[in-house]
Amino acid sequence: MEIELTEREFMYPGHVGCPGCGAAIAMRFVLKALGEKMMMVMPACCWSVIAGPYPTSTLKIPVIHSAFETGGATASGVRAALDMKGDTETTVVTWAGDGGTFDIGFQALSGAVERNEDFIYVCYDNEAYMNTGIQRSSSTPYGAWTTTTPGKDWKKMRKKNIVEALVAHRIPYAATASISHPEDLIRKVQKAKSIKGSRFLHIFASCPTGWKIPSEMAVKIARMAVQTNIFPLYEVEDGLHYTINLKPKRFPVREYFKIQGRFQHLTDQDLEVIQKMVDEDWALLLRKAGEHA
Amino acid sequence: MAQKSQAQLTAENPIHIMPRSTQSTEANKTGSWRYLRPRYEEKTAPCSAACPAGEDIGKIEMLTTQGLFKEAWETILRENPFPGVCGRVCFHPCEGACNRGEFDDAIAIHSIERFLADTAERNDLKPLLERLPSRPEKVAIAGAGPSGLAAAWFLTLLGYTCDVFEASAEAGGILRWGIPLYRLPLTALRREIAQIEAQGVRIHTGRPVTADFLKDLERSYQAVYLACGHARTTALRVPGEEMDGVGDGLKFLEKVRNGEPPPVTGVCAVIGGGNTAVDVARSIVRLGGEALILYRRRRRDMPAFGDEVQMALEEGVKLTELVAPARVEKDGGRYVVTLRQMKVTGEEGGRGRVEPDDDKTIEVVVDRLFKATGAEAAEGWHNPPAADTGTLALSHCTLATRDGRNTLAWGGDLTNDIKSVVHAVASGKQAAIALDTLFREGPDAILPKFDACVVGNGPSLSMEVYMGGERRLRNRHVVSYGEINTDYFRYAPRMTQPRLVREERVRTFTEIDLRVSGNIAMREAERCFNCGLCNQCDNCHLFCPDLSVIHDQSAQGRHINYDYCKGCGLCVVECPRNAMTLEEEIR
Amino acid sequence: MKQVLEGSQAVAEAVRLARVQVISAYPITPQTHIVEFLSDYCATGKMNAKFLRVESEHSCMAALIGAQSTGVRTFTATSGQGLALMHELLHWASGARLPIVMAEVNRALAPGWNIWVDQTDSLAQRDTGWIQFYCEDSQEVIDTTLQAYKLAESVALPVMVVLDAFFLSHTYEPVDLPEQEEADRFLPPYEARFELDTKNPCTFGPLVPPAVYMEMRHDMAAAMDTALTNFARIEDEFEQIFGRRYGAVEAIACDDAEIVFVTSGTVTSTARLVLENLRARGEKLGILKIKLFRPFPFEFIRKALKGAKKVAVIDRNFSFGASGIFAQEVRAALCNAEVHAPVFGYIAGIGGRDVTPEVLEEIYWKTKNNAVPERESVWIGLQEVRHGN
Repeated sequence: MEIELTEREFMYPGHVGCPGCGAAIAMRFVLKALGEKMMMVMPACCWSVIAGPYPTSTLKIPVIHSAFETGGATASGVRAALDMKGDTETTVVTWAGDGGTFDIGFQALSGAVERNEDFIYVCYDNEAYMNTGIQRSSSTPYGAWTTTTPGKDWKKMRKKNIVEALVAHRIPYAATASISHPEDLIRKVQKAKSIKGSRFLHIFASCPTGWKIPSEMAVKIARMAVQTNIFPLYEVEDGLHYTINLKPKRFPVREYFKIQGRFQHLTDQDLEVIQKMVDEDWALLLRKAGEHA
Repeated sequence: MAQKSQAQLTAENPIHIMPRSTQSTEANKTGSWRYLRPRYEEKTAPCSAACPAGEDIGKIEMLTTQGLFKEAWETILRENPFPGVCGRVCFHPCEGACNRGEFDDAIAIHSIERFLADTAERNDLKPLLERLPSRPEKVAIAGAGPSGLAAAWFLTLLGYTCDVFEASAEAGGILRWGIPLYRLPLTALRREIAQIEAQGVRIHTGRPVTADFLKDLERSYQAVYLACGHARTTALRVPGEEMDGVGDGLKFLEKVRNGEPPPVTGVCAVIGGGNTAVDVARSIVRLGGEALILYRRRRRDMPAFGDEVQMALEEGVKLTELVAPARVEKDGGRYVVTLRQMKVTGEEGGRGRVEPDDDKTIEVVVDRLFKATGAEAAEGWHNPPAADTGTLALSHCTLATRDGRNTLAWGGDLTNDIKSVVHAVASGKQAAIALDTLFREGPDAILPKFDACVVGNGPSLSMEVYMGGERRLRNRHVVSYGEINTDYFRYAPRMTQPRLVREERVRTFTEIDLRVSGNIAMREAERCFNCGLCNQCDNCHLFCPDLSVIHDQSAQGRHINYDYCKGCGLCVVECPRNAMTLEEEIR
Repeated sequence: MKQVLEGSQAVAEAVRLARVQVISAYPITPQTHIVEFLSDYCATGKMNAKFLRVESEHSCMAALIGAQSTGVRTFTATSGQGLALMHELLHWASGARLPIVMAEVNRALAPGWNIWVDQTDSLAQRDTGWIQFYCEDSQEVIDTTLQAYKLAESVALPVMVVLDAFFLSHTYEPVDLPEQEEADRFLPPYEARFELDTKNPCTFGPLVPPAVYMEMRHDMAAAMDTALTNFARIEDEFEQIFGRRYGAVEAIACDDAEIVFVTSGTVTSTARLVLENLRARGEKLGILKIKLFRPFPFEFIRKALKGAKKVAVIDRNFSFGASGIFAQEVRAALCNAEVHAPVFGYIAGIGGRDVTPEVLEEIYWKTKNNAVPERESVWIGLQEVRHGN
């Protein structure tokens, strides 16, 4: 794979992420892309634990763990303090899961973005409250089993579209990325770094434990999500200009669902409904990008 | 004053402990979690297993992609001294086994092999190959065809002194006296023969190995390898066969190669369906005649290479299928050939089974005929003996150890089912390894030694493995298409082998296939999956969530840090080419 | 310099004098004037600070935790519902050992929207590890805010400066406003003990197992204890420059008092008037004003109440299922004293109900005329209210 990536690592081994943890891969890429002049705000999420217990930390950069809801707000404070100290080089990054972004952290995120705070908000999305034991979030996709949507109560609400919600704020830069497409992810992180104001990255970070797939499939499943248009890769600048980065061959969604334990209960009819939803969303995205199906 | 008192207050009220981490997590050796363990393990590419010479094709393509043409060329030479020849005349079974063929199109291995030989020629490269220390034994080889020359090459690398005795005026065998120039130019052949001689092989032309000479050789050499080939065309066994106008296909080709082409104006029939028949037909066209191939089965059953048949037909050669000669009769200055019509009654071993279609016959009138229905050993004693005690019949050669006397070996067309150049090379290699083992350890060690250097499931052998090279570390498992992670490859069309256009071809014996540029060769080689080989793509290092793939200065370029590796298996799955293995952790 | 300032502006001026660098606030009556003044100071350059207009009080405290952790002096103000919303992060600020200072305008808690004075909101946060000061007038507010930074930074714990809604926040009073140069002499620039620093990276707030959490909490407890002695030393320094001191408690005429009122906030001012009045009529009343509520000044209280025959605690707050909170704390303080007077607990002024001299007189006589308290808490001035059904 042809990527220009520093050889330096900004995290240590010995962290307690599950084997095959997509969030760990995502963190590693983002750290490499941003370098050492960064500070990380980390509201409650899997990484609050992955980073290791006192007195250790997996991360070589300055980190402040914060309460669940506060990703956007704590970063605003860090940024204000750095500005008062005259530091114009350090990038402030919030590193949050889907729970702390889509749900309990949404207010603070929306507030920070509305104020156009100068920071990068990275949401690594494993599509449920994984840290507390696989409970549903508004990022959990339609059709999924979780411990709070078990059996016949599987999630019948669509996944919230966080990027579109922030695009409505006219955020300077918002983009989706996946651990399966590292060059695209790193390019976007570096592009975000060069922009001032609020920037949002939505990273698809698969979770073998929560999705009930073998650990070695973590990257492949993320790639399949992109290839089936379930998780399209695109960027939006200034809340107006859409760029779709990849137009895959549109593999049918069926295989993506069949491989994952969390979707085992879905019938062929359910999958047809889902295929329609995915096709609809893709067509909508194309229209926004000024393109046609 | 304020500063001082504040500092004093702060100093008097230190924080002894608070939630703030300053140490790394390196003390937590998460390797203890593991129940599956990954490791780097190269495996066997199907192309290399399908190649009778066992060439390390995946590696060759990898080196070519990297622009390391000399290294790629040397990688061929370790297993086959004839890349320039095979890159032109081989029927490339490797391409049929190529996993990329299931993805889009097989790699043009054949063209790349030729490119590498051409590059060596253009830059006058001299190969640097591993050689074992000198051995006292001497080996005589009868016949300087591809098999004999290959045996000499390998035996020399193994440390032996070799003398090759060739009946005709120049070495090469079928390469010199059979295959037409438009397939194999003389310069390409001579260069590779010279390269063999440069390794120390002595070739004695004009020295036929008669039965008597053989007895002399038996006294002065510890082994004699008989590679005299099938120089005699088999008879048609039909009335009229001995007439003047009925020629020998092989002899015709020899005369053409010798610069004395017989006149072939008018219509010339060629009986047969193999490469010889096609070579004869296409040579006739170039010499101004009309060629008509008469074959007893169907076109698809012809043992000749499909490409060759296709080009022959494009060049104007005519083909009549399902006919077998019954008799030849003279009619004025021409000949009438009566042909029995055949019909297909079933399939057998991939070919149609034919029998005469009642008594139907047709007649063709031609100016001359050429026989090319097959060949056999020129002398009966050229043939290896029937299997018995003291004879070891291997897949591509036969060995006869005789108490109190030297060893005899046979190979090439004399022993091989498929009569091709690369199979002949395989014979030479087998004979060399068998003899070396025999000399060092005795006959009982031969089969185990073969087992130890077989490629994939065999029967191809690797000289590099036999000589203790890095290739010996590869797992014999042949990588299948299903084991390739095709997510990492994009559809890319196979290169087109540039050729002379038809009009240009039929006028001369100039080589039909043209050179390709380094650009084209590298681009094509880049399409290769490198099945089972590590090409340093670094996916393992890129995707490891636990930073447990560490770059280093070793040949592999990286190692796994088992202190932290959790055995998630991502590296193994994201390796596009199955160059890693995940196995149970034994504690 | 003597000025007439609204209480809210007094807070803002103190914040300016303290050279606060990052302010974050969310408006809630009756704190709004504080943040409006500060907004104005930042906009006009009167203050060199960043003002973060966050979208809730919870985010407000989160932003300050972030800013203070990055090594700058911070401030916020809130009230009632806003303070309640911040609750989770009040614990966080103290556990993170961040010397944040907050002005908290005592306001009643909903439902029943009530913007008037009630102490339940700040007292409900008494367990959060914040130092709490209850102020009686605007001068005290200015002085206490300045001292708060010095105290907070000395023990690495946050400080809440509490003032009554409207009675303090919206009342104009003459105050002696320090000059910047004087304030600088008293309060140096902030030097963080630890901060987020790319040159010296560390991780704040990681997972903490039982093996060490207790020690961290103990360290906080020890710091709280130290705050008590530090406060005295800080008041010494303050007095040297500005000529004023207040004390953790103020004992007024307690030496020979038979009955001692325990008060806090603006009720104290009214009590002083009632004291004068009753003393003139021969009644032996004393007042113990509690300024420093956390850390609770056990010794000072025991000492001040040693001679009293009865103690009457006036609580403008209530802990449901128990009693007024100052009463609880005073009872706890006296419990282990060798001898102590009975403690009468009175609930008055809830939800902005005026605590008039008459109310305090009623409390006095009730106390005098009962040998022991009739019940844990006596609610003063309850009326029968009938509206519809």
